[in-house]
Amino acid sequence: MAVEAQEAAGQAAATGPKRRSHTGLATAGLLALPTLWLVVFFLVPVVLIFLYSVNIFSLYPGGQYFTLDAWKDFLDGSPFLDLFWKSIRMALIVSVISVIAAYPIAYYLALLSGDRKYTLLLLILAPFLVSYFLRLLAWKVILGDQGVINSFLYWTGLRAQDDPLSWLLYSQFAVILTLVYIYIPFVALPIFASLDSLDRRLLEASADLGASRWQSFRKVTLPLSMPGVIASFIFVFIPTIGEYFAPLLVGGVEGTMFGNAIADQFGQSLNWLNGSVLSFFLLLVVALLMAVFARFLTVRRVATG
Amino acid sequence: MSTERDGESRERTLGRDTFLKLGAVTVGSGLLAACGAEGAPEPAAQATTEKKEAPPIDTEPGDLEVFEWAGYEYPTYGGKKGALSPYVDTYGKPKYVFLTSDDQAIGKVRAGYRPDTVHPCVDYTGNWVEMGVVQPWDTSLISNFKDLEPALVKGGQIDGQQYFIPADWGFSSPLYRSDKVEPEGGVDSWALLFDDRYEGKISWWETPLENFVIWGYVNGIENPWDMTDEQLDEAKDFLISKKHLCRNFWSSQTDFEADFIAGNIWIGYSWGGSYMAAKKAGLEVVYSDPKEGRLGWNCGFVLIADTDNFRHAHEYVDTWVSPESALWNINNYAYGMSNTNLDLSKVDPDLVAVFHLDDPAAREEPRAHYARPLLAERRAAYAQRWDEVKAA
Repeated sequence: MAVEAQEAAGQAAATGPKRRSHTGLATAGLLALPTLWLVVFFLVPVVLIFLYSVNIFSLYPGGQYFTLDAWKDFLDGSPFLDLFWKSIRMALIVSVISVIAAYPIAYYLALLSGDRKYTLLLLILAPFLVSYFLRLLAWKVILGDQGVINSFLYWTGLRAQDDPLSWLLYSQFAVILTLVYIYIPFVALPIFASLDSLDRRLLEASADLGASRWQSFRKVTLPLSMPGVIASFIFVFIPTIGEYFAPLLVGGVEGTMFGNAIADQFGQSLNWLNGSVLSFFLLLVVALLMAVFARFLTVRRVATG
Repeated sequence: MSTERDGESRERTLGRDTFLKLGAVTVGSGLLAACGAEGAPEPAAQATTEKKEAPPIDTEPGDLEVFEWAGYEYPTYGGKKGALSPYVDTYGKPKYVFLTSDDQAIGKVRAGYRPDTVHPCVDYTGNWVEMGVVQPWDTSLISNFKDLEPALVKGGQIDGQQYFIPADWGFSSPLYRSDKVEPEGGVDSWALLFDDRYEGKISWWETPLENFVIWGYVNGIENPWDMTDEQLDEAKDFLISKKHLCRNFWSSQTDFEADFIAGNIWIGYSWGGSYMAAKKAGLEVVYSDPKEGRLGWNCGFVLIADTDNFRHAHEYVDTWVSPESALWNINNYAYGMSNTNLDLSKVDPDLVAVFHLDDPAAREEPRAHYARPLLAERRAAYAQRWDEVKAA
């Protein structure tokens, strides 16, 4: 958008005011549909959710009036706030592990020469051919009391038949494990992109100047790939805070997350007031985080580029 | 039960579960909210109280629209020449729109959708009435009404008006592995769901009401469907203190059965179908008759307030609760039916035993407690605390 605007401005400056109005119209025309889409399917619903959260709209007819009671209840030590922090904590763990695990993969791929790297990249992306839902379900088969891991433990005699590792499934551990598994290919992509575009001459220069491979990595490669790392981190962190499926399928009693609470409020509890508060709060926090990350990203780019 | 029938019955029970609810919540809530704001239903209190003088059936448009669970539609339900054909042959096939859960149905109607009749469960009747979108049935237009089980009929009344025609029902009771589990003192009780000896092997149902209701019956509360805030708080603290015993809270019947059969779970809140599934898988299981009484669920029909097909809706529901329909549903989906005028020799003996179909007393208080309509405010009080139990 910024580039377009610049181009438009440049052209306008070159050809005078008559031309400007023309390009302005074209830009407006091109942007109209996406803007309309955003307004109708994002901004309007967000405003509505806000209005529900302050009881200006409500599920049942009658009794609509402005009140911040639901917000006060939520912020005043409700269990949902604790659940929110738990979700943030779990999202942090998932994103850090995913990034650390994906980095070597991306690094290896980026440094490969020729077409081989794209073949391998495709292989890494292959799990996306199977639906997210099915991949989660598959983990249930692996982690259950009679699952692959426990069966192996019984077989080797490391564990008695009636004493399975039951924390493998229906636990926070299971949620974190499955999410990390799901996100690794996702996370490898932006890191791969930033490493792939790395100027190799910098590494040669660093070697020429006597840096060890580790030093080169730490002082050259890692800082230059930071935008990719941060982008990957955001890719995982933001959606994981509101994660719904994984806790539902493998989380059990202890693995519940904030997204499940929101779904329950709108669904089985029919408490749209509270649900709207939770949703809007999540939206606020995520928007805030995005703003912070975006700023950080740009600063890094400027500093390193 | 044949595999095919089993598959069909699951399709329907899956319809109630949380997975599909997701569709309504994630996709729907935003859009529904968007539509709902403009098309918010008028407070239609007058529509629910005034008695409508219905015109003769041939003056109605006849384009009946039924908001129904998947698997309950003609011809899947009953077959082409089966239970629903008396209606279809006379008035044509209704238009079906499928609901995936009670709350999704409420959300959709709240957003302005108007079918002619809906098939919710009885404990939501209060919500429908309070939303002002339904009217009482004229029971004199339903020929099978006299044969419907009185306890269920009574459960569908609010302020003396028949807002709900009971149709399908079933028991809920603790299911357990008799080779692994020994109930306290050898007596079946709902307290088995809170038994410390079986930590990590228990599964409660993921539901805003029933876990509190169970606590109520275990603790001798007179009407656990209408507990005070203090009682609910006490129940909440108890459930929080016991939830570590649970491996999970199940929300999909098929998932629960898979976990039960895989040995992840030994004790669970369950419907009759899960007992059949566990038995078929060769497990030693008991579908208990707890000393506090079994719970029962019951779904049926509500009539939309401004329907143009008042008499068509009555005819359709009359067909749906007929003895032919009841036999088909029991034999094919293993659910109970409200119509008591049944020839039990045409029912699988196993099902007769599980549902106590030959023993009406087993389906009445105090041996069985059917779900009752709750006012929206009370449902919210239960639900809020259940959400706190889960979040804690």
